[in-house]
Amino acid sequence: MSAVREDPAVPSASESGPVPARAARAVSPGVRASLSRRRTWVVVAVALLAGALVLVALQGAIRAPGPPLAADDPAPGGAQALARVLEGRGVEVRQVRSLDAALDEARRGATVFVHDGLGVLDRERIGELASVADAIVIARPDFAALEVLAPGVRLAGAAEGGPGPAACAVPAADRAGTLSDGQRLLAIDDDAAAAGFTGCFPSGDGFAVVAGTAPDGAEVALVGATTPFANETIDEAGNAALAIGLLGERERLAWYLPGPGDADAAGAPTLAELTPGWVSPVLVLLVVVTIAAGAWRGRRFGPLVVEDLPVHVPASETGEGRARLYARSSARLRSIDQLRIGTIRRLSAALRLPRSAEVDAVVASAAGATGRPAASVRALLVDAVPRDDRELVRLARDLDGLERAVHAAIAPDASLEATDPTGRRP
Amino acid sequence: MALTGRFSLLVALGVVPVVLLGADAAIAWATLLGWLLLALALGGIDLALAASPRRVAVERDLPSRLRLGETARSELVLRNLGRRMLRAEVRDGWPPSAGVHGRNRSRVDVPAGEGGRVTLALTPTRRGDRVTEAITVRSHGPLGLWARQATLAAPGRLRVLPPFHSRAHLPSRLTRLRELEGRTPILVRGQGTEFDSLREYVRGDDVRSIDWRATARRADPESPGAAKLMVRTWRPERDRRIVIVVDTSRTAAARIADEPRLDTAYEAALLLAALATHAGDRVDLLLWDRRRRGRVHGASGADLLARMVDTMADVEAELIEADWAGVPAQVRSVTSRRALVVLLTAADSPGSARGLLSVLPQLTARHRVIVASVTDPTLGAAVSRRDELADVYAAAAAERTRLDGDRVAAAARRLGATTVAAGPADLPPALADRYLELKAAGQL
Repeated sequence: MSAVREDPAVPSASESGPVPARAARAVSPGVRASLSRRRTWVVVAVALLAGALVLVALQGAIRAPGPPLAADDPAPGGAQALARVLEGRGVEVRQVRSLDAALDEARRGATVFVHDGLGVLDRERIGELASVADAIVIARPDFAALEVLAPGVRLAGAAEGGPGPAACAVPAADRAGTLSDGQRLLAIDDDAAAAGFTGCFPSGDGFAVVAGTAPDGAEVALVGATTPFANETIDEAGNAALAIGLLGERERLAWYLPGPGDADAAGAPTLAELTPGWVSPVLVLLVVVTIAAGAWRGRRFGPLVVEDLPVHVPASETGEGRARLYARSSARLRSIDQLRIGTIRRLSAALRLPRSAEVDAVVASAAGATGRPAASVRALLVDAVPRDDRELVRLARDLDGLERAVHAAIAPDASLEATDPTGRRP
Repeated sequence: MALTGRFSLLVALGVVPVVLLGADAAIAWATLLGWLLLALALGGIDLALAASPRRVAVERDLPSRLRLGETARSELVLRNLGRRMLRAEVRDGWPPSAGVHGRNRSRVDVPAGEGGRVTLALTPTRRGDRVTEAITVRSHGPLGLWARQATLAAPGRLRVLPPFHSRAHLPSRLTRLRELEGRTPILVRGQGTEFDSLREYVRGDDVRSIDWRATARRADPESPGAAKLMVRTWRPERDRRIVIVVDTSRTAAARIADEPRLDTAYEAALLLAALATHAGDRVDLLLWDRRRRGRVHGASGADLLARMVDTMADVEAELIEADWAGVPAQVRSVTSRRALVVLLTAADSPGSARGLLSVLPQLTARHRVIVASVTDPTLGAAVSRRDELADVYAAAAAERTRLDGDRVAAAARRLGATTVAAGPADLPPALADRYLELKAAGQL
């Protein structure tokens, strides 16, 4: 165990000989040193951070994040161009993000332009708007809007290429003449046609623009796509003429893009309302504790220590490998021959035969010592060929048995093991 | 800088006020923020009150060497040069094989201007040099929340010597040696003996050893007839040269009975050197693979063993083939006289022993050579196990290995060398016995 004790004798410098007056050299850099050593990286990190901040700021200034087709959005998907042109022609354009504001504007007699890209408005709210407004222009109407404002008009997919000429009695469409590519179509069934809905810019069975009177009395213009209004495409074909014609009829224009506040909020209570107030702070606290515990356990106590480890080679590996090679190639004859050579050497030593004795002499001598027939001993030591594994094992055991028999015959008292060279007995 | 578990606990305890006051979400968030700020403030105060771990003088007290298996005490004296109380946790940078007892994290409190002592017990697990470069000091504040940390240079070196377990065999061999020398006044001259002294004849001495000329010189002319008969005595040769060459090449890295061949060779070399230096012979040691890894020359007595273990301590086997062709020149550089050259190597297969066998004639022409090698004691057991098919194949492979070893030994004997082969535990005494036999036979 690491025993630690304070030694009162140590501080007295006179006793403990030469005292190093200077502090030991620190190997680990201090805060200042580590900062200056990593100055490059610190500078790079600061530069990256500053660049990112500048980029975010610039992007925020140039391209305010807003809904598509916003009246104050100069991006390709916005509609600032149209709004500016309308303002230039004396139309008072007001962008509103809530239904209440839109209703206010409608009550003052404004044309209401609606683009509900996210499908926020439900049927009741559309109906409310239609009952108040005199004129509604809807860009890319969804199913609910069509059902409320123009029953019988259905979505009919996208037009292939540009639609045909206006060919209808809507003045704005008539003035526009043609529209650009990329229109979406609306189909009018017989009931709707009977209710007074007319289509312009036909393409196949559908029309790019449908105009008529809603059941609530409002004048409704349905434009299948947002193309005629968007900055990117407003200058193509008669897009601009159509848009200006539809939206510029009245003094005021309410540019209504339904916001999140208009969504149907009558849902179930949220998770935050169901749980007590401390749950989220405790979760945050848990995260902080985890980080602190990680810093506690993760801080390394000084640098890693390097150690050269010695190679570890078991010497018996070559022997084991050789045994597996024998087994894999079923080298029975070779295996039994190794055992025979070893047995013959040990037998010739035990039988006091010279090192250079012939096999036949060993066979004869062993047969004589054990009283076995010489032919069988010779077969065991020389001739027999193991044809299968069972025979191999039998031969190997017989060799061992022969060796024991010879030893027993020569020195019947001493067993094989009790051959302590010092002659001591346990 | 480092945090402690206590700080983590302090932060975690914030859950109590947050839950107690947290019926309303806003208050709960405010409580959380307040608690975190409190914890940070306490930590900052703690850090500011902690002593600087850099203003510490370190003194190391360490034995320079010890035998493998022994335990050393490593002492560090930390002197606090700062103005604040140092509450330190210290880690000494020993590698794992230095065998530090316990966790190597020592707490020590040192008042300003005073010193504190840290003691570690080390039981190294391997031979060689164990080196520490630095210590790491973590200085805690009085609250134990945050700590400052620095690593200070404090070099230390502990040389771990070979254990020399085989010295257990030394007393019995020394007894044999004394018996050999006790026969000293052997009155027979012959090979392996040299002239020792003249002394007066006592009854029982061989009359053939009477030196008549010396007797005549001693004769007192005043009183004829009172002449003392003088006999010559002889003793075994002394001051023979013994050169022990330890092979440190790849074969020495192999482990037999969980001991590298090299360590067994060291044990055998140490026992032989201890015995031979008692017998009055001069021993030189060479550690060799493709270059000379170590050499002890011209030492004697107790100094010899000390220098041998010191040389052996940090030499490990390298994974390269030995260059035997360079050995004769090395032996010549040690002595030009006839010597006993002991080659401690692994002569276990004809392929790897070819280099050894090719230079043996050069050595045996000038010197008496012993080739000592470690054999695997498990081979015998493997040969006699024949229960299953796998056992039979294993027995065949083991028999093949033994036959290979025998072939190499036979080839070495044909080239005029003496061979000693035994298991790791038996090789040192076997080699010592062979040396005693040669000495008794006067064949050195």
